[in-house]
Amino acid sequence: MSVPHIGLYYFGALSLVLVGIYGVLVKKNLLKILISLSIVETGVNLLLISVGYITGRSAPILSEGIGPKQAVDPIPQALVLTAIVIGVATTAMALSVAITLYEKYGTLNIEEIRRLRG
Amino acid sequence: MVSVLKRSLAIITLLIIGYWLAQGLAGVPFGQDRMLVGKYYLENVKAQTGAVNAVTAIVVNYRGFDTLGEVTVLFIASTGVGALLWRRKKRRTAKTEGSVVLRTGSELLFPFILMFGTYIFIHGHLTPGGGFPGGATIATAFLILYMAFVDYEIPHRLFEPLEGLAGMGYVLVGLIGLAIGSYFLFDWIWQTWHWGAANLGRLFSGGFIPIIYTLIGLKVGTELSGIVDSMLTEEVRE
Amino acid sequence: MNGQYASLLVALPLISAFFVPLIKGLGGRAIKYYLTLITALQAGVAAWVFKTVYTTGKPIIVMAGGWRPPVGIDLYIGHFAALFVLIVALVSFFMAIFSFDSVSTEPTDKYAMLFLLLMLGATGMIATGDIFNLFVFMEITSITAYALTAYNKTGEAAEAAMKYIVLGGIGSSFFLIGITLIYGSTGTLNMAQLAQLAGSINPTVIKVGLSLLVFGLAVEAELFPLNAWAPDAYQAAPHPVTAMFSAFVVKAGLYALARLVYLFSHAAGWDFILKLLVIMATLTVFAAEFSALRQRDVKRMIAYSSISQVGLIALALSVGSQLGVQAGVFHMINHAVVKTLLFLTVGYVGVKVGGTGIENFSGLGRKMPLTAFALTVGALAAVGIPLFNIFWSKVWIIIASIEQGYAWEAGVVLAASVVEAVYYLRLIHTMWFGGWDGMRIRESLPLGTIALFLVLLILAIGVYPNPFWTLAKSAGTDIFNVSRYIANVPLMGVGP
Repeated sequence: MSVPHIGLYYFGALSLVLVGIYGVLVKKNLLKILISLSIVETGVNLLLISVGYITGRSAPILSEGIGPKQAVDPIPQALVLTAIVIGVATTAMALSVAITLYEKYGTLNIEEIRRLRG
Repeated sequence: MVSVLKRSLAIITLLIIGYWLAQGLAGVPFGQDRMLVGKYYLENVKAQTGAVNAVTAIVVNYRGFDTLGEVTVLFIASTGVGALLWRRKKRRTAKTEGSVVLRTGSELLFPFILMFGTYIFIHGHLTPGGGFPGGATIATAFLILYMAFVDYEIPHRLFEPLEGLAGMGYVLVGLIGLAIGSYFLFDWIWQTWHWGAANLGRLFSGGFIPIIYTLIGLKVGTELSGIVDSMLTEEVRE
Repeated sequence: MNGQYASLLVALPLISAFFVPLIKGLGGRAIKYYLTLITALQAGVAAWVFKTVYTTGKPIIVMAGGWRPPVGIDLYIGHFAALFVLIVALVSFFMAIFSFDSVSTEPTDKYAMLFLLLMLGATGMIATGDIFNLFVFMEITSITAYALTAYNKTGEAAEAAMKYIVLGGIGSSFFLIGITLIYGSTGTLNMAQLAQLAGSINPTVIKVGLSLLVFGLAVEAELFPLNAWAPDAYQAAPHPVTAMFSAFVVKAGLYALARLVYLFSHAAGWDFILKLLVIMATLTVFAAEFSALRQRDVKRMIAYSSISQVGLIALALSVGSQLGVQAGVFHMINHAVVKTLLFLTVGYVGVKVGGTGIENFSGLGRKMPLTAFALTVGALAAVGIPLFNIFWSKVWIIIASIEQGYAWEAGVVLAASVVEAVYYLRLIHTMWFGGWDGMRIRESLPLGTIALFLVLLILAIGVYPNPFWTLAKSAGTDIFNVSRYIANVPLMGVGP
């Protein structure tokens, strides 16, 4: 078993993913679980962005001295735009479900909800 | 006790997942040039789409299908939130009015925020940004009004049809492409009519990107304000 | 007509869903008619696509924006996609009709939009030829599914939706990390080009990436251990939506799973993924069958039965031979027909009698004879009795697994059938021999027609399986034969 070598940016993004998963697994408050899910999404987006980075290059807007050879990979950035919007949509959906749950059970604690339902 | 057990189980799971992911990532070294399709985009983006911002050209033109899906996802969210929080009669139930600073500030800033949002989505093919950030900025203007005034509500009769119309507009632009250039989402303005070829790098260029981003900006703005509205109003019982 | 018009499969439901806010003033009933009309139109387009693909024998490649793949996104409507897009549209059409009776919760306009977008999402997942576009359509499908699960606005529905959202959120994040890894090592997102480059990818990356993709899709494909949301969601969702989940949403997930796995069949470490899938599928079958035995609610029982059948399909798909994939596709078709019928009839009983608990089915044979008859046929078919359709697909799954040396897989199929027989026969017994409260309920004509049509289809496949088996064979080959898939996509020369 060898320790894999990964860059600092990957390490940061990966840590965010893991922190988020930890929150989803351990937290009992529904809102905290949803925040954790958002953290996972953020981590994934950062990971995607850093995969597209090329050392020493600039943003892929081709004006004033930035030619095709001086720009980073534009695809991951385009994908992340889409992924962010999808994350927002999921969060909005989840929050409205949480509002419904709160109206029905009067709590956001998942154990309480499970107990009230019996 | 239970929670200690749960926590340690969670940490063990995390270690396994983390190790597994790091193994995979180690095979994709950071900062190296691995572009394949990306290089093609960078080399041809100006000639083929008339946009200088490669990211927006990819988002709207090359991979326009994704963006259509993205718009749909946001539409689903606003529809879903509306469906779940639907009440026969709804009213704002905020109790305290915003402070004088907030109220005056929001009224003063409102037109400028709208203008800035519009600026962002119109210049999507030239600068970082585009329809989604622009629309989100516009929605912020309405959010501030909601925070400042207890009885403010967005004009529902205008916003909901506008949201649908903007979405239909996007699909229609795609269908016109199907009719003119025989491909769905074909950039007929740039590739068939060659409009704006002399303006590369200025506002009137970029083929259908500004048009689509305007539609997206309107749609996102109305959608996000609609979501805010659904979440902030509550049922009135009579 | 130009093949590019197949993009209407995506454009039509989309533009119609955006149109709904403009006509919401017309009232719920008008909107339901509108929904029926649009799904019928979609079925028409799908039928045209199906006919074109099967008469020319060539897939339709829709190139969005006129860009050739891998620069643009393509829709690959081959033999599998053409068949299942038609199934998606037909089931949606039937369920739009069923919505007249079964969906009375407001707001109907939002229901119609979500309904259309669920159909759109599944269609897109089946048709797309780009891995990130697959992610987008998967999210369209799952976010509409979250909303529709919670649509009834009861506490149970909200709880089921919440479970689904949390699992789905984790799943989609895993899927995206998988895409990141695979994109990072190839530089492309087009499926055909990925298949071309599969052999040259670093084996660790492909192993990790592909297993992440499998885990991500397992949420939609209802594979153990990520299917905990499914029984609750099936029970809490409105009845037509449950039928749609079972008939095509899960199929879209399974198809995407099989497509991605077989695309990388030249990659090192592929056997590992197949083994992972076999384990997940077997556990799915067992966990679901034994839970089904304990259920007192018929809708939930059929939900568990549906999940276990999904496990069987996944098992057949992960055998790793052409025959296995074909058998899996055949089982997908049969499962779609049978589960649509079962959820339709059970849902109808739920609407008319007032609940789907087993006690409501007592004496149904005399209370609602037509519904009870259709339900009986569906139940017998689900068990896999000869002369009913599922018998044949189960036989083919057994043959395929024995041929590949997985004798125990055949045992799994047989054991599952025995367990199914126990609970389905219990249901049939309750319906025909249970106490009757003397009531007769008038059954609806359109729904009766749909149920009879499905019954006839079940019997037709059961008695003359050959034409349908041929159909399933060409659809299965479409998934299995990757080199033909690559050859069919007009890749432009963007390469290293």
